[in-house]
Amino acid sequence: MEPSASPARPFPLRTRGAVLLALLVAGGWAFAYLDLSFGDLVPNEGGLDIAGRFFGRAFSPALTSEADFVPEGTPPLLVASLAALKTTIVYAAAAMSLSLLLGLFLGFFASTAWWAGDPVGGRTLLGRTLAPAIYGFTRVLIGFMRSVHEVLWAVLFLAAFGLTPLSAVFAIAIPYGGTLAKIFSEMIDEAPRGPALALRGAGASGIQVFFFGLVPRALPDMMAYAFYRFECALRSSAVLGFFGYETIGREIEQAFDGTNYGEVWTHLYVLMAVIVLFDWWSGQLRKRFVA
Amino acid sequence: MSVTAHQTEAHVRALHARRPRSRFLRFSMGFFVLLMAASWFFGDFDPADTFSSRRGANFERFAGEVRPYPLHDEPWDWSVAATWAGERLESGVSKEGSPGGLESAIGTLAISVLAIVIAALASLVFCWFAARNVAAPEPFAPSAAPPSRTRRWLWRGVVGITRLVLILLRSMPEYILAYLIMSMVGSPAWPAVLALAIHNTGILGRLNAETVENVDVKPLVALRGLGASRTRIAAVGIWPAILPRFLLYFFYRWETCVREATVLGILGLASLGWLIDEAQVAFKYDEMVFFILLGVLLVLGGDLVSAVCRRLVRRAS
Amino acid sequence: MIMPGTASGFRLEGVTVRFGELAALQDIDLAIAPGDAVALVGPSGAGKSTLLRLLNGMVRPSAGSVHVNGDVLAELSRAGLKRVRASIGFVHQDLSLIPNLRVIQNVLAGRLGRQGLLVSARSMLFPRRADAARAYEILERVGIPEKLYERTDSLSGGQQQRVALARALFQQPVALLADEPVSSVDPARARDTVELLTRVSREEGLTLVMSIHNLELARACFPRLVGLRQGRIVFDRSREEVGDDEFHALYDLEAAEMLADGA
Repeated sequence: MEPSASPARPFPLRTRGAVLLALLVAGGWAFAYLDLSFGDLVPNEGGLDIAGRFFGRAFSPALTSEADFVPEGTPPLLVASLAALKTTIVYAAAAMSLSLLLGLFLGFFASTAWWAGDPVGGRTLLGRTLAPAIYGFTRVLIGFMRSVHEVLWAVLFLAAFGLTPLSAVFAIAIPYGGTLAKIFSEMIDEAPRGPALALRGAGASGIQVFFFGLVPRALPDMMAYAFYRFECALRSSAVLGFFGYETIGREIEQAFDGTNYGEVWTHLYVLMAVIVLFDWWSGQLRKRFVA
Repeated sequence: MSVTAHQTEAHVRALHARRPRSRFLRFSMGFFVLLMAASWFFGDFDPADTFSSRRGANFERFAGEVRPYPLHDEPWDWSVAATWAGERLESGVSKEGSPGGLESAIGTLAISVLAIVIAALASLVFCWFAARNVAAPEPFAPSAAPPSRTRRWLWRGVVGITRLVLILLRSMPEYILAYLIMSMVGSPAWPAVLALAIHNTGILGRLNAETVENVDVKPLVALRGLGASRTRIAAVGIWPAILPRFLLYFFYRWETCVREATVLGILGLASLGWLIDEAQVAFKYDEMVFFILLGVLLVLGGDLVSAVCRRLVRRAS
Repeated sequence: MIMPGTASGFRLEGVTVRFGELAALQDIDLAIAPGDAVALVGPSGAGKSTLLRLLNGMVRPSAGSVHVNGDVLAELSRAGLKRVRASIGFVHQDLSLIPNLRVIQNVLAGRLGRQGLLVSARSMLFPRRADAARAYEILERVGIPEKLYERTDSLSGGQQQRVALARALFQQPVALLADEPVSSVDPARARDTVELLTRVSREEGLTLVMSIHNLELARACFPRLVGLRQGRIVFDRSREEVGDDEFHALYDLEAAEMLADGA
């Protein structure tokens, strides 16, 4: 689920102690800077009341609407929850389809392998000038795409265009496309170079070497990572519900604001079920196809 | 065509027909490709609406308002823009009682750091119980008598329950967790810290458990043979071996924590997101974009620090 | 211009290869006639791999010239160099196969140098019937036709070696270079592999140059042996002329024995 590293040699004892100490010091600094106290963790009376009533419903989620006033024509709770889930999945899937295209396209230009040149022939004029420029530009572009969080992209698009489903999709697709491009390019660049050089030696061109010597080797990793990102996209899509989109986050927010805690749990369980399913699914794929 | 050519082709066809294929992989691929294609038909995406003239006008207005306020109808002037930016860093949104931009950025950083430290420590508790090689009746025993069925099932239960807990912890988006915790815990920073910590405990717990399971067992078997206890093996044999990986994952997840911490402020918590949200609500798009860009700098800085640290870890190991 | 089906000759004239300060090969003169079978012998680090890579234009000489079938490699255009490379099969020490592709795709990859991007993409993704049949025939020659559609990493080490050879043969090469193809297999299997390589080259009329660690095996399978040590040619003899003296010259056994006696 994350880019993996080769197994490493253990650290010596001193380093281990220093690492742990550094962690604690960093945590301590943050604790002090945020002016936190453990006393604040204990909820006040109102908070305690909400917590009690909220967690009291954990094992008895609502099956029908609990609102005092249900307007005419409101769909039953479970139907509404599943409809919101459908929207959540649809946004995530549409966003993933775009970000996969973006990730593959930009990932190609963001890797060093496509313009590495021939071990003997050197690089062509184009390879010496234009290619590094394209590479650098792409890296900057994907860096920017991914450093703005999908929620902030959504906020920007809301301000710029107003509420439209397509902008939710773009809000997820842009940072995800950048992340996929980054990870894809790293996976391709880290693929063993032996087969690539062998194809070079058999007269293959640089582009052929890229697509038939490097990409096939990285493909299982790339696919496993894309599946993992799909799971993340589901979560992002759910969160966009808090910004007016019709995903399950909106149902959760509305139910919680209306203190219908049983309904909140219903929606939470529906979302969790799907995410756990995807988590398990991508885990199985990884286990079988990425050794 | 000659007889041998016919035979060759028949052989090739036969081999092709029984080539090894994974149904699971093909089903998964097919399912996701179909799902992605279908999503464009099932979503109410209306390009005519998205690219309508009304939205175009909206965008033009937005583009105009993104210019820093003092320069709205003025020609661009770097010194004015710099002064304006300095004010934003100093005093945040132009509104009474707003924290400064720089202060909020550091606060965001602090939230991410505290959250990932808590998550890392918590995951170090969980990972042993989720690793099948440690959470076993006779871990690394060279030649122990087969354990009783009850004890086997007991340990299998421990692993299963721990893994279930971890999967549930990470299944909830941080934003929703923070939203739920916010109403119960009054302080402005704890909900963000806890939400990030909970989600990342689930992720780091799983990753570290995998590292523990992949650890080289030979020295551990020897330790066990010398009569070392389970805890001792974990502390002396496994912990040093998993530390490099542990740190790599730690920094990877910290990067995402910085990203998420920026956003959580939108809920009204103490991070950059609070300023972004305040600016947006007041239609001060110039300030909103400024704070988003400040967040970009913070995230890029975090990525850089993380990349350097990960390289150090790789080099040291 | 190289015609497919015509064996290729090689000639090195005063070739030196330096990697930074390190001289991998020094002042090498060597001629290999079309259709010859030559074993390069010598300890590791002697420069055997570098010499082989000179022959298919994957290493550029720091001084001197490399002739392949009359062409001087340094004078060739990119396209010309590509053509020469495409005409020379190379079996690598680490095999350099892509483990998660099927055998047929690894074999077909041998022909990339003769195809454009789109044509090669089509034939890699959806192999034509004729290509599959040819791949099958070549695998038949190396003894593993039934593995055509298997995943390459599901094969044993010896079988993967045959896939690497099949890939080189699928190039329709005029010469075959092999870099320590048997360094990581057991002795019995090593002999099989070397014999397979020499037999196939003889039948196809290919020039064969193989670097090999094992002097006995080289003497058994090759008519001509070239000994390399520390980047220089120590001897270049027919197998009948290679005896203990040559062996000592390569591995400095006397020095090793003296060390052993002193201990």
